[in-house]
Amino acid sequence: MTATKNWLNRQVSITPLITFRITFGAIMLFSILRFWWNGWIETQYIRPQFYFTYMGFDWVKPLGATGTYLLFLLMGLTALLVLIGLWYRIAIILFFLSFSYTEMIDVTNYLNHYYFISIVSLLLIFLPANRLFAVDVYLNPAKKCNTVPFWMVGVLRLQMGMVYFFAGLAKLNYDWMVEAIPMKIWLPAKSHLPLIGALMYKEWVAYAFSWFGAIYDLSIAFFLINRITRPYAYIAVIGFHLFTALFFPAIGMFPYVMMLSSLVFLDGKFHQALLRLVAGHTYFNQAAGAYQFNRLNQQLVLAFMGLYFLVQTLIPFRYLLYPAPLFWYEEGYRFSWRVMLMEKSGNTFFYVKEPGSGRVFEVNNQEFLTPQQERMMSTQPDMIIRYAHYLKKVYQARRIHHPEVYAEGYVALNGLPSKPFINPKINLSAQKLSWHHVQFILPFSK
Amino acid sequence: MKANKKIYLILIVLLCTALSCGKSNNPVDEPVTNGFDKTAMLTNYADNLIIPGYTDLQQKLQLLTPAVNTFLTAPTTLNQQAMLQVFKTAYLSFEKVSFTQFGPAETILYTNFMNTLPATTNDNSDLQKIEANISSGSYNLSQNITVNQQGFPALDYLLFSANTVQQFSAANSANRKKYVQDILARMQDLTDNVLSSWKNSYRAQFIANTKSDAGSPIGYMVNQFAYEMDQLKGPRIGWPFGKQSGGLIFENKCEGYYSKTSLALAIENLSSLKAYYIAAGSGKSFSAYLTALGKDQLNQSILTYFDNAINKLKAVPDPLSASLTNNKTAVDAAYKEIQILLTVLKTDLASALSVRITYVDNDGD
Repeated sequence: MTATKNWLNRQVSITPLITFRITFGAIMLFSILRFWWNGWIETQYIRPQFYFTYMGFDWVKPLGATGTYLLFLLMGLTALLVLIGLWYRIAIILFFLSFSYTEMIDVTNYLNHYYFISIVSLLLIFLPANRLFAVDVYLNPAKKCNTVPFWMVGVLRLQMGMVYFFAGLAKLNYDWMVEAIPMKIWLPAKSHLPLIGALMYKEWVAYAFSWFGAIYDLSIAFFLINRITRPYAYIAVIGFHLFTALFFPAIGMFPYVMMLSSLVFLDGKFHQALLRLVAGHTYFNQAAGAYQFNRLNQQLVLAFMGLYFLVQTLIPFRYLLYPAPLFWYEEGYRFSWRVMLMEKSGNTFFYVKEPGSGRVFEVNNQEFLTPQQERMMSTQPDMIIRYAHYLKKVYQARRIHHPEVYAEGYVALNGLPSKPFINPKINLSAQKLSWHHVQFILPFSK
Repeated sequence: MKANKKIYLILIVLLCTALSCGKSNNPVDEPVTNGFDKTAMLTNYADNLIIPGYTDLQQKLQLLTPAVNTFLTAPTTLNQQAMLQVFKTAYLSFEKVSFTQFGPAETILYTNFMNTLPATTNDNSDLQKIEANISSGSYNLSQNITVNQQGFPALDYLLFSANTVQQFSAANSANRKKYVQDILARMQDLTDNVLSSWKNSYRAQFIANTKSDAGSPIGYMVNQFAYEMDQLKGPRIGWPFGKQSGGLIFENKCEGYYSKTSLALAIENLSSLKAYYIAAGSGKSFSAYLTALGKDQLNQSILTYFDNAINKLKAVPDPLSASLTNNKTAVDAAYKEIQILLTVLKTDLASALSVRITYVDNDGD
């Protein structure tokens, strides 16, 4: 116990944290500018008239045009402040809040790497990543620290390691390993790539990609932790993520986020060498303090971290509480590092019935949803219920008495022909959102 | 220690190169594959379907101009009948390019200006706007808000609605005549514009890009299969049929309602879509692509569903606007087949080709 405590509390170089803070701030700033530049603020947060909220977070509302731009401005500014290390603690708190709020506006936009950014910024709130090479210590040199307790670097490594490991675990399923699906479906669409394009139709390539991906995800964290394999493992990280960026440009910033974040696995010497390129030699040779929380804070934060990682470990397994198959029902799918795991697409027709008159109104989804929202909703049961509830309200406002909402949906999963997805006899507007297994999704059949 | 430092330096250099080269665009050139030649498919689409489609429409519109002018000069029922045949041919020809709303057509919102559906809204506000334009004589047809005051639907109304002959015979019909000519001239301009863009620059871009992501030609075309099917199920048939209005029928929402060409247009639209799918059995089509991917069963289903939907549409008695009330069973049967075809194109085809039906670019994982 004491040995573990000592191991966790031994002082190590603060520099991995410093690089992490700087690269995190930089890539966030870049991502926000890119998002803005691409016009996605408009298309994802302003134009839609209906938003799919998260259970328990229905109070999260879009902020309108001005509000949303201000929110992104705040996000961008706080990312910049984190990058330069000015007013760090307040900046990272505001970044965490504004970023998480934005992501919670619409389930449609859920991406694992957005979730990753959210929880990493939460962790960063507790870490003194502004104690070196930051405007904060320039203004107040007394705050400068050269070392921190090991666990402060360790939590970031653990978090990164969990992302990789759970992503690897998720790949250990029949379709991925035995059938090489979805790779078999996705790769022929990449035949435009120079040199290797022709290989994309080959079956063995799909198998190689699937197996390599699984082995990489499962093992990379261990190789990154090991002192001897570390540099080579990091080269593998760069190679792997460059590959994914090249093959799947649609995953956006994710490869770059992972390439930069994985630097945290490298030790203090590497980071000193890296930072020296910018700061010069003398800066790191000056004597400075060793960061330490006071006893109470230390215990509180460690208790929080323990609880946090316990929850992080359990969440990816919550799918076991629901009937299989996970890919069909998607109950317990999100927040579990299931990244690029399946090929699923669907199409749903909604019908609003007026029981009194027997009149039936077919819904034009394009009237209420963006194409992206419609696509995401069609394969995800909780979104289907939310949309049905919304339709009920809309048609009530259109003076339809006691509207009932029914749907006919079809979903094609992992290359199988599309199958009926929704029980067309169930009034979806009467279905409640809950943690229970959904009743209106038809059983999966091969 | 020294060795360690070297490794670190290598790592730093590697990371920097990775970050910088990752940002640049990779050159796109299609290697010869033993799987499926996408360049040949795209070339086939450009040279044998799309460009000939626009060329044909350009010619049909050129023939329409004198026929319309003859009628405007001498507005008789006989001239109207002669003009109807030419109008119909041009409208049917348009259905062959309706699918190609990407590249130059997308840039200028070609399909929107040529054929925004439905042609009238519930309160006929489009028709009121057209009439207002005519009486004021001042309008700017290049504004996006005027999409439903021009194109084929506006011509259909102006040339073939009930009192047309009297209206054009009236003494004060100069504005009305000018409006018809302006619309027609604009349709020709837009078509010439798209065709020349295809010939001069876009064809090369189109066949050179064999990606399947958002904004790529393959991505666009798969999206258009879904879009055209949505249009067929919605504004072309479903909306007039009262599918969204609790059974309340809006026959005047039919495409080509006044010229009574609705059914022919729907059949031509769907047949053209099938033609784009199989590309005359050339082996350079989406149909062949699916087969090359080992998805022949899906390909066969799609072909069957196309034929089912086309046959059921052909079984609906003409004109469609009357059948909406008098032959509901036949319309319903066609509608059901359209829905089946829509689902297989939007879901199975898109999924098999790794194309996202989103019409926009965004991140995913």
